[in-house]
Amino acid sequence: MIDPLYLEGVIKILFVFVLISAALIISTRSLASVLNTYTVQSFLLAAVSFLLYLIDGKSELLLLAGLTLASKVLLIPHFINRIEEKIKIRRDLDFTYLEPTTSLLLSIGLILLSYTFLSRVFGDLALSRLFFFGAVIGLSLTLMGMLVMFSRKKVITKALGYLSMENGVLMLGIFVTELPFILEVLIVIDLIILVLLTSILAVGLDSSIEEYRAKIRKLQIWNGGEAL
Amino acid sequence: MLEALVYGAFAALFSGTVLPLLYRSKNARKASFGLSFISSVLLLGFAGTILYTGKGALFPAISFLPGLDFTLGVDRLSAGFVLLIAAVVPGVSIYSLEYTEHAKSEAGKDLQAALTNLFILAMLLVVLAGNMVVFLIFWEIMSLSSLLLVLHDYSSEENKKAGFFYFVMTNLSTAFLFLGFISLFRLTGSAELGQLESVDPGALTLPFLCLFTGFGIKAGLVPFHKWLPYAHPAAPSGVSALMSGVMLKVAVYGFLRFLLAVPSPELWWGILVLTGGSLSALFGVIYALKESDIKRLLAYSSIENIGIIFIGIGLYVIFEAEGLPALALMSLTGACFHAFNHALFKSLLFLCAGSVVHATGTRNIEAFGGLVKSMPVTSALFLIGSVSIAALPPANGFAGELLLYQAFFQASALNDPLLTVLLVIALSGFALAGALAAALFVKLFGITCLALPRSEESRLAEEVPRPMLIRAAVPAAFCILAGIFSKQLLSLAGLDVEYPDLLLLGLLLGSIYAALFLAVRAKEDHEMEKRPARISETWGCGAPTLAPSMEYSSAGFSEPLVMIFKSIYRTRIMHRPKYFDGQESLFKNGNVEIRLLRFFEEYLYIPPARAIDSISKRISRLQNGKLDSYVLYAFLAVITLIIATGVLV
Repeated sequence: MIDPLYLEGVIKILFVFVLISAALIISTRSLASVLNTYTVQSFLLAAVSFLLYLIDGKSELLLLAGLTLASKVLLIPHFINRIEEKIKIRRDLDFTYLEPTTSLLLSIGLILLSYTFLSRVFGDLALSRLFFFGAVIGLSLTLMGMLVMFSRKKVITKALGYLSMENGVLMLGIFVTELPFILEVLIVIDLIILVLLTSILAVGLDSSIEEYRAKIRKLQIWNGGEAL
Repeated sequence: MLEALVYGAFAALFSGTVLPLLYRSKNARKASFGLSFISSVLLLGFAGTILYTGKGALFPAISFLPGLDFTLGVDRLSAGFVLLIAAVVPGVSIYSLEYTEHAKSEAGKDLQAALTNLFILAMLLVVLAGNMVVFLIFWEIMSLSSLLLVLHDYSSEENKKAGFFYFVMTNLSTAFLFLGFISLFRLTGSAELGQLESVDPGALTLPFLCLFTGFGIKAGLVPFHKWLPYAHPAAPSGVSALMSGVMLKVAVYGFLRFLLAVPSPELWWGILVLTGGSLSALFGVIYALKESDIKRLLAYSSIENIGIIFIGIGLYVIFEAEGLPALALMSLTGACFHAFNHALFKSLLFLCAGSVVHATGTRNIEAFGGLVKSMPVTSALFLIGSVSIAALPPANGFAGELLLYQAFFQASALNDPLLTVLLVIALSGFALAGALAAALFVKLFGITCLALPRSEESRLAEEVPRPMLIRAAVPAAFCILAGIFSKQLLSLAGLDVEYPDLLLLGLLLGSIYAALFLAVRAKEDHEMEKRPARISETWGCGAPTLAPSMEYSSAGFSEPLVMIFKSIYRTRIMHRPKYFDGQESLFKNGNVEIRLLRFFEEYLYIPPARAIDSISKRISRLQNGKLDSYVLYAFLAVITLIIATGVLV
């Protein structure tokens, strides 16, 4: 049996790495590195889940770790890797609304915001410090994933932003709300479908959302784009 | 027993709604209107009994949401309005039987039959509603079903505009009602109607203003009246009769229900309601004088009559606030009785107008004339309606207004001299409106039915089928009976107000007329004996024949009155020049238009509409079709939510 305090220390170190990975997803330009970062992030999550299992002994956590490892570390990155091979683009250089530096500064703000918010909300709940930090990291990861979704241009990066956002939800789920396991499975299935769809759209239509929009507009699915 | 009657009426109306939609045939439509007729007979029995015995009833509540029950209840006030519905519906159902068949498509006919039943059912349930939620639900159903009926001929641009106008106004009305009811709910903590004894009267200011505005919009009080002259001409005549005759009264009912629940209304409420009513009465009739579209004219006249009803309500509040309950009761009785009477004669007039429009194919009264020869029965019914609405004794229009006049004349009983002055001013406005209404209906009847036909269509007009005649005859009979037996009716309903017996007056008037007639006749016979009769043409100023174009026209008839009220009928001159060049120096051609200034529309309705339009244009820029922007909005929303929760916790 390993000392729980030691395990908690390890988890806290992992938290820091998770945050670093989120920052990298926001700012890295090479598509391959973004994907690698996501894989690492998912792996870190699986590891956190496993370590928590060692502390708590709840079998759901072990299953969760396994599921995360199978889907988010192996399956999904594998799909995306194949898309990246098919499309000719290697880097995502365009940003909308926010430049990477600003995004990073903003994400610091987001972490602080999550911290103050959660400390007010959970103030009376007397959560242990570890769980509180987990929740903060989870919430900030969700928000940062969202930030990726609107500030980066390529469809693949957007999809990865969404995936990273889901990682944040998973994290929050592990530490605060204890999502039922079946829900977690469903989310993973959703994610896989999302990735499949993205692959169809990204390869089949185009790799850049700009041209994709032009095509959509031709099909008259969305209107209102003419206003700008 | 009573419950069986009202449930039977519900069942009849409901199956009348469903039947034409399930079995799309002419027979189903006939059955549907037959069912609404049956329901009205049941309701007459139900409401009559309640009014006579004076005992209210509460139907068992069905709980459909936690904390909210579906309650229906009836007391004497709502029974009076149920009676009003039941008096108008039989005519409309018989009339629509024939009229509906002229709709363009089969589906349109079925829908019209179904919606008419739904509309009646909804109005009935609004009146019987036991709490605010039920009231609002059926209020909304009532609005929507009537909206669809207004839009029955949606291909015409004019009807679409009318429908849109009505839609906006009716939603505005509902919004105000929601506000009013919510603020009432906050005060009392209960959704029941009529539990305001414990509430501080000062706190009722906001609910009062909201409900007054909401019900005022629906009832068509000036300045919220503009939807009426658009919606009534667009709807089928039977529906116009229902809307004008009944739906406006449902709004009056709602307002009365609130006012009667307030133990001690404040004086300024009464002054506000009285002012609104007087303005509506005056403006309604003044605008009607200028109108030459028969249905629009009737719509403006509805505004006038709603004004009269609100004058009665205003008087009730003033007398109540000043502690004169007998006078207050008289004014309230006058208002309710006038509402009832207006329902009768306005539906009669709308149905006659429908027959005339049906026979001639136009709504322009300048094209009518001479219908008394080609459509004698319709003309006679039309005359009864005109006499009633012009408040000539002993028809029912006179009976209702007499109560209000009596209340007005006793304004000297008030202690406050300023208030007396105000009432005298309102009285003069009321009297002026009455006189103008008489002139208006002299004009309408004279131009429509008398003299020579002014157009080919009018010359070729034929009497309408019998169902349409019978239909219009029902309210006509009610009009006369309700006038002559008004005292008896009121005492049957348990309202003992100081009031002359119109039966006696009617007999007296009748015998005087008969005596006069006989005297003249005798004299004539006497003269004839002395000198033989000479039969020749009337001198036509030397013209060989008298052409219809020489007749008094509608515009000519109202010209003197138009001159008097010139300042109200402001005209607007529109120049629309066109130029050859962009600098506008070489004049090409152009046109100038002089038309009546639509004061309320152009100064009161259009500016806020434009403002809303430009704001929505600005907001719609947010919808730019960019995925990034949408995610950004979601992101900002989440952040805002987080911050807000953090601040609130």
